[in-house]
Amino acid sequence: MKELKKLLERIIQRININLRELDYDVSPFIRNLVPLNQMVKFYAFYGITPNHPLDLVFRHSSLAGSYFLGKIRVRNSILYKSDIRGDELKHQGDVFKYQNFEIPITRDEGIDIEDSFLIKTLVHNFSHDPETLEKFFIRDTLSTHYANIHGSPCDGCFLGPFATVDLTTMRDCVIGTFSYVQAGEVGHLNVGPGTVWVRSPDEFNFLYRYPLDKLSHYIDFIEGRPPQGFVMDFVEDRKEGFRRVFDVVHLEQSVSIPASASLDRYAVIKPKTSISENVLVAQRAYLQNAWLGQGANAQENCYIINSRLEGCNVTAHGAKIIEADMGKNIFVGFNSFLRGRARNRLTIGDESVVMPHTIIDIKNPLTIPPGHLVWGLITNPQELEANSIALKDLSKIDDVLIKGNLSFEGSGAAFVTAFRDRIHHILEANGAFFDGKKNKMPRRTRISPLTPSSHTPTVNSRVCIRPL
Amino acid sequence: MSDYLVKELMVPLSEYATVPKGSTLFDAILALEKAQEEFDHTKYKHRGVLILDKKRQVIGKLSQLDVLRALEPKDEESIDILNLNQFGFSSNFVHRLRMQRRMTAAPLKDLCSKASQLKVEDFMQTPSAGEFIDETATLEMAVMQLVHGPHLSLLVARGKEIIGILRMTDVFAAVFHTMKECEL
Repeated sequence: MKELKKLLERIIQRININLRELDYDVSPFIRNLVPLNQMVKFYAFYGITPNHPLDLVFRHSSLAGSYFLGKIRVRNSILYKSDIRGDELKHQGDVFKYQNFEIPITRDEGIDIEDSFLIKTLVHNFSHDPETLEKFFIRDTLSTHYANIHGSPCDGCFLGPFATVDLTTMRDCVIGTFSYVQAGEVGHLNVGPGTVWVRSPDEFNFLYRYPLDKLSHYIDFIEGRPPQGFVMDFVEDRKEGFRRVFDVVHLEQSVSIPASASLDRYAVIKPKTSISENVLVAQRAYLQNAWLGQGANAQENCYIINSRLEGCNVTAHGAKIIEADMGKNIFVGFNSFLRGRARNRLTIGDESVVMPHTIIDIKNPLTIPPGHLVWGLITNPQELEANSIALKDLSKIDDVLIKGNLSFEGSGAAFVTAFRDRIHHILEANGAFFDGKKNKMPRRTRISPLTPSSHTPTVNSRVCIRPL
Repeated sequence: MSDYLVKELMVPLSEYATVPKGSTLFDAILALEKAQEEFDHTKYKHRGVLILDKKRQVIGKLSQLDVLRALEPKDEESIDILNLNQFGFSSNFVHRLRMQRRMTAAPLKDLCSKASQLKVEDFMQTPSAGEFIDETATLEMAVMQLVHGPHLSLLVARGKEIIGILRMTDVFAAVFHTMKECEL
């Protein structure tokens, strides 16, 4: 415990040194955020598959309750119940295309975590930084509850609860509570809470800011206490479901699935759930009375409850869909929280895009027409009007769009195309278009779990790592 | 070397518009109007007001721009707009957003009526180290300080006491006069 305290102090100091220009002190937030005695209560896990190298090195670190997959290094760090998923890292011999460059990958990429404290954080995807393609680094960084570090090397950063940094290299930045940043490369920025920012330089710039007084009802984080709010309660109330899937070795699959579907062994499946062809259900997804049509995918940390997804839906990391009827080809971005009511359901039409970190929380029925982009906070039809636009109308914007709290500059067509391309790529990579011969199958647990008594060495197993 | 010394070009404090700390913006504007009326009408009009503490020491300068800035709407949206540059929005975008927000804000007349409630010290500029000049300094030194500040005026000191203000317009007039002498 003494070593752990020293390690925590070292991490705090290193982060504060990096954030000194922003005059930001993480220590009031970090202290007591997770009682250190929790660190000795949980094992860590290392996933083994035939598709990923068995390559974990950790030194002078606490990995309590965390899950690792693929090539990973951890030094001088504390990881608490985090998912470090190296299943999409680049391999030696791959070629990375960036602007006019075709950059060969000279060795297998690894996730490299040093002097950092990650709490219930998902680290996924691969480094998109052309300057560091073989090393997806996370250094001198504090990441708090349910944050996502997705394809984003970080150096000297603080991520608030439910923050997401996506395909962006960050140096010396603060990303506020429930903020989403996808901007390529950022440095020395303090992004306030409730900011949704998607920028592609010279193409488009999308910025939405939540009214903070309303956001605090859903998620609120002030120094000296853990994150609070309705979304936090929602997730914490369901964590018992995950205890069983991680504690029990021989876990019977609770739902029958087609051969072309993929259901991760560490997903929670509650009764009345139906899974169609080519569906992908990732680790730590939570399904309850959920109907997933062909090619739908439910990514890590997402929750789909009392809802129907017609097919080819992308429910991104951390998204929550409750009491909703979703058409086909709908994208729901990271950490979105969509809540209808049992008798007052949320309906979203085909081909719509729900921006990352959108909150839709309704008490009366609400329908989002097909082919719309929605963002921000929506609790009634008036807010839907202010925070949505038909994608065909957005495509016509080539200069400026100012709508409610949204600031948009650049080419709407480029924005729509970028999203459509990314959604198609996700569906393709996750096996949504598999026809039995062509295209990929759903990506992950194609092979059944290995139990400790099995002798088959090439399946999705786990290694228990004892705490410090 | 120029023949001019700062003390010959400055406006003495007694002839300049001044108000004590705690005055309102409206008080400052009245003081400016009065000083302009009393000042030599052949000279360039005053454009600012000096703020004095209880010991009649100069603690700040209030320019016309400071007054206009004080009347700009100050809400969270205005602050948000200020921050847009860091997110990579163009200056054109920021300008258009300001225009849009300004059109929906309170009319200028309403904002002007609040001038009697706003205190000068909340909007004045505190003089920086380079804004002071000794009364015996030459025109060359004054030009250097104005250019490299850059400043629109300098506070003229005699020891620790501020005795006047050296305005850019008066320095410019002296430079212009010197140029003409060189031509001759």
